[in-house]
Amino acid sequence: MDLSSIFDYTLIYATIRAATPILFAALAAVITQQGDITNIGTEGIMLTSAFVAVLVSFTTGSWILALLAAMIAGVLTALIIAVAHIKYKADITAIGTAINIFALAITKFGIKQFLGTTGSFTSPKIVGIPRINIPFLQNNKYLNGIFNNWSLMEILGIIMVFALTFLLYRTVWGLRLRSVGHFPMAAETAGINVNKMKYQVMVISGILGGMAGAHLSIGYSQMFIENMTNGRGFMGVAAMFFGGANPIFAWVGSLLFGFVDSIGGRLQAYGWPSQFVLMLPYIITVAVLAVSLWSNAKKEEKKKSSLTI
Amino acid sequence: MTKSANKYLNLLLTTLVSILIGAVIMLILGHNPIQAYFQLFKGAFVGKLNLGTTLQKFVPLLLTAIAFVVSSRAGVFNVGVEGELYLGAIAAAWVGFTFTNLPGPLLILFCIVVAAIIGALWSFIPSSLKAYLGVNEVCVTILMNYVAKYITSYLVNGPWSAKTGVPQTPAIAAQAKLTQFMKPSQANTGLFIGIAVVIIVYWILTRSNWGYKFTTVGLNPFHAEYVGINPKNSIINAMFLSGAVGGIAGAIEVLGTYGYFLDNFSSGIAFDGMLAALIVKNDIKMVPFMAFFLAVLKSGALGMERYTGVPKSIVDTIIAIFIIFATMEALFAFNKKKKAKEKTTEEQM
Repeated sequence: MDLSSIFDYTLIYATIRAATPILFAALAAVITQQGDITNIGTEGIMLTSAFVAVLVSFTTGSWILALLAAMIAGVLTALIIAVAHIKYKADITAIGTAINIFALAITKFGIKQFLGTTGSFTSPKIVGIPRINIPFLQNNKYLNGIFNNWSLMEILGIIMVFALTFLLYRTVWGLRLRSVGHFPMAAETAGINVNKMKYQVMVISGILGGMAGAHLSIGYSQMFIENMTNGRGFMGVAAMFFGGANPIFAWVGSLLFGFVDSIGGRLQAYGWPSQFVLMLPYIITVAVLAVSLWSNAKKEEKKKSSLTI
Repeated sequence: MTKSANKYLNLLLTTLVSILIGAVIMLILGHNPIQAYFQLFKGAFVGKLNLGTTLQKFVPLLLTAIAFVVSSRAGVFNVGVEGELYLGAIAAAWVGFTFTNLPGPLLILFCIVVAAIIGALWSFIPSSLKAYLGVNEVCVTILMNYVAKYITSYLVNGPWSAKTGVPQTPAIAAQAKLTQFMKPSQANTGLFIGIAVVIIVYWILTRSNWGYKFTTVGLNPFHAEYVGINPKNSIINAMFLSGAVGGIAGAIEVLGTYGYFLDNFSSGIAFDGMLAALIVKNDIKMVPFMAFFLAVLKSGALGMERYTGVPKSIVDTIIAIFIIFATMEALFAFNKKKKAKEKTTEEQM
């Protein structure tokens, strides 16, 4: 096995490319986790908006409209979760799972009803989110391979990481939100409208999840496949747990999963059975999740023991 | 008494509302809902083939729903039954085509036991992570479903392939096959095994020491620990039981329905089972009825599509809407604390 053909400079961009859908999902989970909601429904939000993006892009031929429609679809899906959870006291895990299954069913139905096919849909009429070509980078092989031809969403994803960090840690709204996440009753006592905050974060989560879905179906690829999210929403939630609901660390988590994904794709060329390559990201995600929570538990233990002594 | 009557009324109302919403969707899309529902029920009940298919679909739904109920008793939201089902199925198939010289009943028992053990061991990963590290079990179990599916896919395409071009294992020994009693449908005696398993699980949950511990831990782990029940052990034991039931569901699919393991055979059976459990709020006595209702919807959908042109995926959409409504009404099992609080405030008023 030739290691240098696996670990070369193109791996950097491959990692970012594979990580971006997970990153958006992770950010959608981060913002709600800060508001005391573990958004299990991220996967469903993503899947619905991925479908809407393809549908709108196919019918109107505009990726901007498709992206907007995907975001609206994401927000609507998130609002179903929000209303059920906040107003009607549905357990967040139960309603999240319900939404995931709803998304699976409605997209399956939609692909048959509106696109007249089953399983997957692709067409040259789908207009994708553009890639950004910087001509002067083309002269250098390495710079071209790493920095050129990024999808707009890949750049937006990184901007979003810093935007969310700013929002959470540098604004009054963020401080209030984090206090809701830490101790909702105290926040309520301090005069913060907890439910309003929760609705707000669910809307933001819907927007981010909508971007994730749109990127998946008209940025990362240009098609829609049944259940095309394939657990990426859950990987995003895992990245959120890995990063302790901090956008930057969640980004690191998504990059890690993207890295494993791209390495796996390359290993397939060396005769690894495809099933092992395909299961690799899931195994690594579970392992990373376990290790990060284990180290957190250790840290907590240390803190406690130093307090008692 | 009025409270439980209320619960059943709620369930009936949600059922009606979802069927109505389904009808509205069909109307909007220009189909005739009455005709569609008529064909749906005809497709589920009329004729040996249709009724048999309904019964055949009912068994795995029932068992996976029960598997979900068991773990949620201890407060674990086990979305991983699908993976347990796959691994149990392939384990049963392996036993079935390897130990071909065992007599029938013994071989069947052996298949089912191995499937249960494999399912239980698989569930130990998420349960130990949840119990000892507090890792979110929904994330872990759903990701592990993919791993389980790929493991079986590898085995069925590689070492255990029947090498016929179709991704399936060799057929299990003839004496291990469960009798199909409603030919030409695939309904089989696995139905009775399934019912027996449900009765055993019901007994464990409601009459045994284990069941009491699960419920106590599920309601309040701190209280459980205080009265001397180890919540970690209970979580792990409940998941063992859940995994075993999931594995048995897979075994019955192989022994009764197919006679071999087929790659990707389930397409989400366990998720439908989970929905059945969620809709009835983990009330184990109601699970069989709801599992049967979903089996009717699922098996009738094909007939509906054939005769009225309404896409059969609309049934999944109706079920999903159903479940969204069902979770909303202050979920019984997962929101007991909130409910109790509401009740006390009501009483004070």
